[in-house]
Amino acid sequence: MQNAAFLPVAFEVVLLIGALAVLLVAVVAGRDRRYWGPVAGLAFAAAGAVGVIQFREVLDDGGGLYLSTMDLSIIRSPMVVMDGYSAFAAVVLGVVGFVGLLAAWDLVVYVGRRGPEFVSLALLAVAGLHMMVASPNLIVIFLGLETASISFYVIAGFVRRRSGSEEAALKYFLLGSLASALFLYGIALVFGATGSLTLYGAGSIRDVFSSTIITDPGILLAGLALMLLGLAFKVSAAPFHQWAPDVYEGAPSGAVGLMAAGVKVAGFAAIGRIFVGGFVSQIDSWAPIVAVIAALSMVVGTVLALVQSDLKRLLAYSGVAHAGYTLTALVAGINGIPAMWFYIATYSLMVVGAFAVVAVVQGPASSSAPLASFAGLARRNAELGWLMAILMLGMSGMPFFAGFVGKLTAFAAAVSVENPWPAGANGYLWLVVVGTLTTVIGLAFYLRIISTMFAGEGPEDRVDAGMAARFAIVISGATTVVFGIVPFPLLDVVRDALPL
Amino acid sequence: MLPILAWLILLPLIGAAVVAMLPARRPELVLPVSIAAALAPLVVAGYMVWEFETGTPNFQFGSDVTLSTGLDIGWRVAVDGISLFLIALTAVLFPIAIAASRSITENARTYMALMLVLEAGVLGVFIALDLLLFFAFFEIVLVPMYLLIRIWGSENRAYASIKFVVFTAVGSAFLLASIIALAVLAGDTVGTLASFDFRAMLATPLSDTAQLWLFLGFAVAFAIKVPVFPFHTWLPDAHTEAPTAGSVILAGVLLKMGTYGLVRFNMTLFPDATVDLGFWLAVLGVIGIIYGAAVAIVQPDIKRLVAYSSVSHMGFILLGMFALTSQGLQGSVFQMISHGLTTGALFLLIGMIYDRTHTRQIADYGGLASVMPVFAGLFLFSAFASAGLPGLSGFIGEFTILIGSYLTWPVLAIVAGGGVILAAIYLLWAYERVFTGPTNPKLAGLGDLGLREIALMAPLVILIIGLGVYPKPVMERIEPSVEIVLDRIEGVTGNEAAEFGRVAEVVPIEYGPIERRDDFHGDGSHDDDDHGEDG
Repeated sequence: MQNAAFLPVAFEVVLLIGALAVLLVAVVAGRDRRYWGPVAGLAFAAAGAVGVIQFREVLDDGGGLYLSTMDLSIIRSPMVVMDGYSAFAAVVLGVVGFVGLLAAWDLVVYVGRRGPEFVSLALLAVAGLHMMVASPNLIVIFLGLETASISFYVIAGFVRRRSGSEEAALKYFLLGSLASALFLYGIALVFGATGSLTLYGAGSIRDVFSSTIITDPGILLAGLALMLLGLAFKVSAAPFHQWAPDVYEGAPSGAVGLMAAGVKVAGFAAIGRIFVGGFVSQIDSWAPIVAVIAALSMVVGTVLALVQSDLKRLLAYSGVAHAGYTLTALVAGINGIPAMWFYIATYSLMVVGAFAVVAVVQGPASSSAPLASFAGLARRNAELGWLMAILMLGMSGMPFFAGFVGKLTAFAAAVSVENPWPAGANGYLWLVVVGTLTTVIGLAFYLRIISTMFAGEGPEDRVDAGMAARFAIVISGATTVVFGIVPFPLLDVVRDALPL
Repeated sequence: MLPILAWLILLPLIGAAVVAMLPARRPELVLPVSIAAALAPLVVAGYMVWEFETGTPNFQFGSDVTLSTGLDIGWRVAVDGISLFLIALTAVLFPIAIAASRSITENARTYMALMLVLEAGVLGVFIALDLLLFFAFFEIVLVPMYLLIRIWGSENRAYASIKFVVFTAVGSAFLLASIIALAVLAGDTVGTLASFDFRAMLATPLSDTAQLWLFLGFAVAFAIKVPVFPFHTWLPDAHTEAPTAGSVILAGVLLKMGTYGLVRFNMTLFPDATVDLGFWLAVLGVIGIIYGAAVAIVQPDIKRLVAYSSVSHMGFILLGMFALTSQGLQGSVFQMISHGLTTGALFLLIGMIYDRTHTRQIADYGGLASVMPVFAGLFLFSAFASAGLPGLSGFIGEFTILIGSYLTWPVLAIVAGGGVILAAIYLLWAYERVFTGPTNPKLAGLGDLGLREIALMAPLVILIIGLGVYPKPVMERIEPSVEIVLDRIEGVTGNEAAEFGRVAEVVPIEYGPIERRDDFHGDGSHDDDDHGEDG
């Protein structure tokens, strides 16, 4: 396919054009949302469609290697790769971006004249997120990471008038840059050890491993560890999670869903790309570390979520636990990639939906969201109550909701691999036992939220969701149920979403 | 046209959706529509009992639709003699429990919808032959039950509901981990990543160590659900705080999910471990019998008393099951049904009197028989049935269990026999304190049971007498399915079930190549089985 050379970068191109178009339209046609709002939505929808086209193209091609011609010496150092992995990431990020923008629409309305800036930042961020997944070059992955992160720092502090928002932004920025720096340092060390920055192609890291014996694995392992640490920070896996509750609580409620979901999708996908795609031969070195991080995340996230009295902080800690479940899938290497995709694709939508509910109840620019203010929500708005209950059951991993299928596939993957310890045991069975136990403990706080909404005593005045937010919540609730009851089409799709 | 078992699950779910969407300004519609929705599965269950072919251990009414080839997950459902009557019991108790919920006025639509979802979940547990499907139903039951206790329970409901969830869900955690591990092992046999097919699991050879750990993983989940002695502490709280219908369903049906799981999965899938650990489970059962009964005697709260009596009765079921004799296991399955009817009746009656007096303390009553003679008569009848008076269903179950377990462990059976006496003590003493003696002045003027309440009790009374007088139709359907479980245990382990006229002993044999059998006929075909000969 010669003339499809732009297809691999089409996702980024569409979003960048969208971001510029939003600003341009806002300048030329006036700041009325009617003009630039549809442009943003269209950009996300088109980006998602690009993902679908990419995915079909890859499948038609037999899942073959598909490098862009950005560099003259194509084979020498590819900068962009199009495979089932990046194509599926494009679909997920397009959908998450679209639904996340819907959920954030009340906030866009709230910030008024600065709306176009917010929207174009969101578009830029998602473009950066996909760059993390679509590039086999560590430097480009870093660039994508920074593009996304910097956009999100700004978004976290977007409601300037409130100190909470600014505090969140500063915290996110300081800790986030440290993590980025560590990630970059890791890249440098890996380059020192292997002499290469690309994951695929001639002279790539995989090539180095297959042809050379690394004389000094210490530097390599240190580099791997630092890269893992940087990404673990981004997906808020324990023990690198401390920023998440503060940032989620402080950032404007309307934007948290998009931030949290988007970064997680790309963060896990990047971990998969780098470690499963590039360093697959070193799996014995990194998989146990990932397993420990996964176990820690599940335990820390669940236990700390139990004692939260603020719904946003609670969701942040539950996000830490979910990072653990997702990493459980990645422990299995390539076998776990489909499970990782299923989990993160469904979870990211639940997160967007849950924060959208928070934004509806507390106001789009709010920071804190005490659990007490959700008491009796089901009486104030039955639809909202039921949908939030569905989302909570989905996150808790109840059967017939998407979270269960995600956990199940992740656990099955972790059990099915060879495991160095304890010898003879069924894969990472210990990790799965930790996972099932924390799932149970997690049930306690998810059910607490539900019973608060249905049985709690609270204000009785009706609360209504705006059209966009309502649409976002319905989409996320519906996907949670649909993929919980009939997960099989999606399970079939993610089986092809593998990195090269 | 969907297969009949799909309707069995779908009908209550459709009913739940309809009830939830009833217009808010027509509250009088909620109860009749809910009852109708709960009667629909009863019709299906009745048809199944009628059409069920006796004398065969085969699974019937089966359907087998593979949903995921990679993980080998499927809609694999069927019914055999063990699950048939549990389904029937569920289908009988739910309409009664729903009809008895007239006092629920707040959020009645949500309440009824949750009850119907609960029914679908419980029915699913009893028909699933795909372990993932089984787990899904087993786990989803938690949510409606939690909400029923949490929202419509009595004073201490928050504590009781979360305790119920935490206990049960901890068990489910081990169950899920074990199911996944077993599925991955079974996947090796079938050639997929995993297989949740019950048949594939039956065909998977398991090492002794694997059997031991998997058995324990499954057993913890089911033991908590039953509940077996050290795991029972959630039960009195949950039963006492739940609304009447919740207690009826909890005691009548939900506890049976545990004992059913032990028979269907533990005993069938892990025969070696069953033989190794059966004695200890039976000992726990006997401890439960005596302990539950002893604690029941001293309860000041009548509902709590009945709750503890459940611990005692469930101990009998456990004892009969792990005696590994035909009589014992048949008695256990029968007792599951009988206990559902008798305890369901007791909780219903307690709910009726609670609606009038709003107290459950035995000390607040006294001389009630002169005020409410019909109620007293029905209560005495249910108490006798629960204590195992000959001629009523409780007797058949407990007597068969005692015979069956005596063959294997005479001492345990004799100790357990003491539990029957204790049952008579706590129930009749409670009767004496509540119904006889001078009438408590506060009780004067209470109306006796109305026609509606008597009509609610009538089906239970009829079934208790019917099963007590003529248990054969039930027993003859249970027996082949029970035999096949024991045959498999015998075939695999060489542990020979004790029978009359033979000394009970475990005969060790050499472990030869084991021929696995596959008795599941998902398409409902009825091959003649020569059970008991390929061990």
